[in-house]
Amino acid sequence: MAHPSQLGFQDAASPVMEELLHFHDHALMIVFLISTLVLYIIVAMVTTKLTNKYILDSQEIEIIWTVLPAVILILIALPSLRILYLMDEINDPHLTIKAMGHQWYWSYEYTDYEDLGFDSYMIPTQDLTPGQFRLLEADHRMVIPVESPIRVLVSAEDVLHSWAVPALGVKMDAVPGRLNQTAFIASRPGVFYGQCSEICGANHSFMPIVVEAVPLEHFENWSSLMLEDA
Amino acid sequence: MLATRALRLVGKRAISTSVCVRGGHGVAKVEDYTLPNLSPEQASLKEKEKGSWAALSDEEKIALYRISFKQSFAEMTQGSSEWKSVVGGMFFLIGFTGLVVLWQRKYVYGPVPHTFEAEYKEKELQRVLDMRMNPVEGFASKWDYENKQWKK
Repeated sequence: MAHPSQLGFQDAASPVMEELLHFHDHALMIVFLISTLVLYIIVAMVTTKLTNKYILDSQEIEIIWTVLPAVILILIALPSLRILYLMDEINDPHLTIKAMGHQWYWSYEYTDYEDLGFDSYMIPTQDLTPGQFRLLEADHRMVIPVESPIRVLVSAEDVLHSWAVPALGVKMDAVPGRLNQTAFIASRPGVFYGQCSEICGANHSFMPIVVEAVPLEHFENWSSLMLEDA
Repeated sequence: MLATRALRLVGKRAISTSVCVRGGHGVAKVEDYTLPNLSPEQASLKEKEKGSWAALSDEEKIALYRISFKQSFAEMTQGSSEWKSVVGGMFFLIGFTGLVVLWQRKYVYGPVPHTFEAEYKEKELQRVLDMRMNPVEGFASKWDYENKQWKK
């Protein structure tokens, strides 16, 4: 999760998020360069003592300030499209989980082998144990095995929601009557938090997503325990 | 003729799509190209300007300049004290906003959640470090787990 007043991204927990971080660095650098140039030009224009009322046109500079932005846009588009296609590659998942959005909680179904399903409600602020994160903790986490490709099928039972986990670089809209697919690999174990990302009513801010990536044996133990409890 | 037909087709609005000196409101102002109405002394000075400029005295040169230009370069580039009132007004309004914020905090807002208490925040921090959140370049990467302190 983010620490208070954090401005930048969280550390990547999946390969796709790593790519996104690098692309963001690249695009932001370009943006800073352009902004610095423009700011310099503005300051120079405002503080100059020179005057010239009779400029009408100049073909050279017009060519430069048309071609150069086109080149810059290409420099941004090429890495961007590369990541776009990378995210769409065939990934052969080890596990498929259905994440269903409700007003106002998520429910997860693991139906590859057995019939495991459970709801995940936010822990209310007054019920937190000391140290838990306000508005982010859920009573049941979506547990996944680490370093395995996971496919998540996202949908909704009532209104639009959106299933997002920033550390994994994942966001997928939950549309009623529609199955949206997204996939990721958790490269490291840990707990990754996210929040519903499509306005869905009064408690839209209070239906978080918690993904816990654990080694495979722990995942197997967890799913056995969950099946017993059900 | 084409222009009048176009105007009839488009409507009865006044359109100025080109610089019209007659219109008097284009980009090129007539004052930029023509001399203002000259008094008799100024007219005779303009005649004298057609001869050798070395024969003109300094006052005459300045008078000729003033016919064509409203301000000298020095007058044009001199600053004003306006910035002082702008900055002063800006600081005053910022200060006033601060007062409004303080008043709101005292009389409008309710208490913050209990998770903001110092003891709770300590436990939260411990939990963030225990869970190794953002261990690569973020939060937990700044903590020295061996020596139990922040990295220098």
